[in-house]
Amino acid sequence: MNHEPNLANEPNVFEKVVDFVDERVGLKTLQAKMLNEPVPGGSRWAYAFGSVLLFIFILQVVTGILLMFYYVPSTDHAYASTQYIIHEVDYGWFLLSYHFWGSSAMVVMVFAHMSQVFLWGAYKKPRELIWLVGLALFGLVMAFGFTGYLLPWDQRAYWATVVGVEIMDKTPIVGDFMARFLKGGPTPGQMTLSRFFVIHVMVLPAGLMALAGLHIFLFRKAGPAGPFRGTPEEIKAKTDYFFPRQIWKDIVAMASVFLIICSLAFIEPVVLLHEATPDPGDYHPEPEWYFLFLFQLLRLKIFGGEFGQFLGAVAIPGAFMAFLAALPFIDRSPERDIFKRPLALIGWIAIMLGILIFTVSAIINREFLD
Amino acid sequence: MSNVKLGLLVLWPTFWTGFPIKMVVALLLLAAHVHPWEGVGLEALLLLSIPIDIWALGLCARTVFLERLRVDPPQGMGLRLWAYWAGFSVVYLPLLYFAVGGVKALAKSATEATIHFVEESLMVIPIAEKITLELVMWGMPTTIVLIVLVYGWLFGLGALAQRFVRVSTPVDGTFQDIVYKWDLLRIPKDQPLLLTAFTGAGVVLVFVFWGLIPVSTPHPHEDYEFVNVKKVEPKIIPKDVIKSAEQVLARAEATIKELEKENPKGELPKNGKAQAAKEGSKPPTK
Amino acid sequence: MRQMQPKLTAKARCSDKEVGRISKVIVDPLSHELSHVVVREGNGQGMDRQVPIDQVQEVPNEEEIILRCSSEEFARFPVLDRDLYVTIKDVEIAHLEDNLHVEPGEILVPYPRLEHGVPRRSFFSNMTHAIGLLIALPFAFPVLKYLMKPMYRPFDNSWFSVGNISKIKKENIGYQFKFTRGFKEAFMPEQQIEKNIWVVKATPEVRKAVYGGKDKKFYDDKGNVVWVNKANVPYIGYSGKCPHLGCGYKWRRTKNFPDGVFLCPCHLSIYDEAGKVLDGPAPRPLDVLPMDVNAAGEVKIIDIEYKAGVKDQIRLL
Repeated sequence: MNHEPNLANEPNVFEKVVDFVDERVGLKTLQAKMLNEPVPGGSRWAYAFGSVLLFIFILQVVTGILLMFYYVPSTDHAYASTQYIIHEVDYGWFLLSYHFWGSSAMVVMVFAHMSQVFLWGAYKKPRELIWLVGLALFGLVMAFGFTGYLLPWDQRAYWATVVGVEIMDKTPIVGDFMARFLKGGPTPGQMTLSRFFVIHVMVLPAGLMALAGLHIFLFRKAGPAGPFRGTPEEIKAKTDYFFPRQIWKDIVAMASVFLIICSLAFIEPVVLLHEATPDPGDYHPEPEWYFLFLFQLLRLKIFGGEFGQFLGAVAIPGAFMAFLAALPFIDRSPERDIFKRPLALIGWIAIMLGILIFTVSAIINREFLD
Repeated sequence: MSNVKLGLLVLWPTFWTGFPIKMVVALLLLAAHVHPWEGVGLEALLLLSIPIDIWALGLCARTVFLERLRVDPPQGMGLRLWAYWAGFSVVYLPLLYFAVGGVKALAKSATEATIHFVEESLMVIPIAEKITLELVMWGMPTTIVLIVLVYGWLFGLGALAQRFVRVSTPVDGTFQDIVYKWDLLRIPKDQPLLLTAFTGAGVVLVFVFWGLIPVSTPHPHEDYEFVNVKKVEPKIIPKDVIKSAEQVLARAEATIKELEKENPKGELPKNGKAQAAKEGSKPPTK
Repeated sequence: MRQMQPKLTAKARCSDKEVGRISKVIVDPLSHELSHVVVREGNGQGMDRQVPIDQVQEVPNEEEIILRCSSEEFARFPVLDRDLYVTIKDVEIAHLEDNLHVEPGEILVPYPRLEHGVPRRSFFSNMTHAIGLLIALPFAFPVLKYLMKPMYRPFDNSWFSVGNISKIKKENIGYQFKFTRGFKEAFMPEQQIEKNIWVVKATPEVRKAVYGGKDKKFYDDKGNVVWVNKANVPYIGYSGKCPHLGCGYKWRRTKNFPDGVFLCPCHLSIYDEAGKVLDGPAPRPLDVLPMDVNAAGEVKIIDIEYKAGVKDQIRLL
């Protein structure tokens, strides 16, 4: 991508290689098509979340593959090999901590991206399919977090998984089947670890890559929605191309997120608890922070009892996801300005506040348990 | 334009413009085992933030003035506006902190008293519900006060910025002309120089990072035994020492007898078996 | 310079008069050349007639083509059966359009006004590359070290007791000493592996052949001397692995060597009691180990392994 005007008549080596490939692949046309996508109303920082998600995912794959060089997914070696990575392998602690915090960053970015799309009304026609694929991607990201958490096989990992799977067990009719499928048996053990490992390392990445590709393809087909305010003339006047302005914003956002994750890896490197044992002992099981609000919800009395647990853990979240999926078909008004969609705005604020309040409650609750 | 809106419009991009650069500083501090939120680290970070903020403020404020207000501010605005904002914030923000802290303490005690009263007279509230209820009860007034005071802070920032709006010259032209103008703020005249300098500085910082980053975890697990640390010292058992000494003497005697047989003159060869016997009986050291 | 190609909407003239306009062109998918032009008769209302390209005599300019045939012959050209063809939007044929210039014009899209600044584009483009590089770079060194960690293990210079010299009855004969040692790899539990060495009680001539009169020094990774094998100590221990490819060799009496030689069964390397290569593919003599025989006759060695198949002694463990 040489933008400096070439004053010499003879093309340099780099240009010759580029021309060679371009003649055979149509590289320049391809690149132009990919990069010169007009962004109506101009590039925005708010649009960067999708690209940042892709960036975080790629780094998770890279660090994940590196971790697999030393990690052994068997119950006798999982803990020891993870400790080996942390203590013995050069910079292993940094790569593992990056992978850990990267997964948290991914969840935060998913919430940010979904919120941005929702508030901008970019789920409405003709973007319903993008929204649905996006919801599936959200589910995959949560599944990633859940399956990956078990792999170190320490007390925290083991018991968080046990609790999570037991909750799923409460689903009527299919619950027992689902739980046994995930556990690979009636009780958690080697079979569980093997299954979670394969799902985390092969099944989910393949699924995510496929769906992410589809998501991007559908997005390009429909075109970016652009700002929800402004006359067509204003929007046209401010339009620029994906490259360079939006890509610039994307990369600065990526750099900031990268720096934050690295810093977190230094501030709170991964420290394992004791190796998993069938007896929890003094340890109070807890899921990862982004499931804490659900965890706290289940402590409320209204969700007590077997059916109550199912209601709080599976039915209500499930119903909410179903509602989100149906959203583009329920909300058919073409209005995209968030300030003219009071229900949407209030709903979003209520959900975000609710999640925040229950997450903080879960953290306060820890002190009561000690 | 209202003061609050102006304040927010300038503050938001300024913060995020300086943020990545400050993150680089913070990361390097962390790699060197220094906490950037306390002590020396915090002082270093704040000190370095000053020039970064002045630059960012100048750039972003000018952009907002051009793009939204269609005025071209005077030169050197960044430094002066920063001085005003810093002066104002240094007074206002601690007041905000204490005010919010006071409200929070008040709200918390009021909440506790109410809950206590309810539990005594009406019913016992289960723990999980109580936690959330308490959180909402003291959280709401605290948050409201916080939002109001932040609003006031933005109002002040905006009002200070308005002074510069008044002395700025209006600009006309299409949107593209204005963007072209503020592009000129950002695009250096000598691109290759800036790019090389920037990349070079970045590469140097990466090398520094590599030098600082610890090889093994800075928070090792208390029970973990490191592989290379084991230096098992040979235990000295007196019985064994005496036994091997006796063996040395026995062998020495036997050797001397052999040598006497071989060499009736009674001369000991220099690097002979006696030496070999001696070497053979030394306990091996690591 | 190629002859100008017929263009869509150009007028078609026969030798005598104008017969219509070019409405379509047909391209051969293999040769990528025009095979036919389709001419719509009259002023756009008539039939589409399929005219072979060889009937095009001349393309004087963009506006018209001249056909060889007369207008009567033209009227006999077959009518286009549209169902037999697809457009290039329906089918992907690589490089089909590379040499075609048949369009009368292009569909244009205005370039956004904001993209007009070339220096702006290049600046953002280059800064993006610079930042992208700076994001990727911090990982490079740690990842390399991470992957390389197990590749160069520090040498283990601990001593192992292998047996007692009392079992050596004759000089210049190879005696096998077996021993077990612990072996711990990374986080795996310690395993016990069985190894063996060969010890020879050497006469002075053999000792001279092995040591050349000088003491043999053994070093650790930092270059410090760990042990010295004195040249006058009669007991010499050889590593149990053949220097050719690491097989375990044996002391055997053969027809040619009735007193015995070291013989490796894998590729038939033969060594004498001084470890010298008598025959076979071995690149160097048998590897001498640091050995210590104490007053009680107990034999201790440092378990060193050298790289097989090379002339020099390169220590591995």
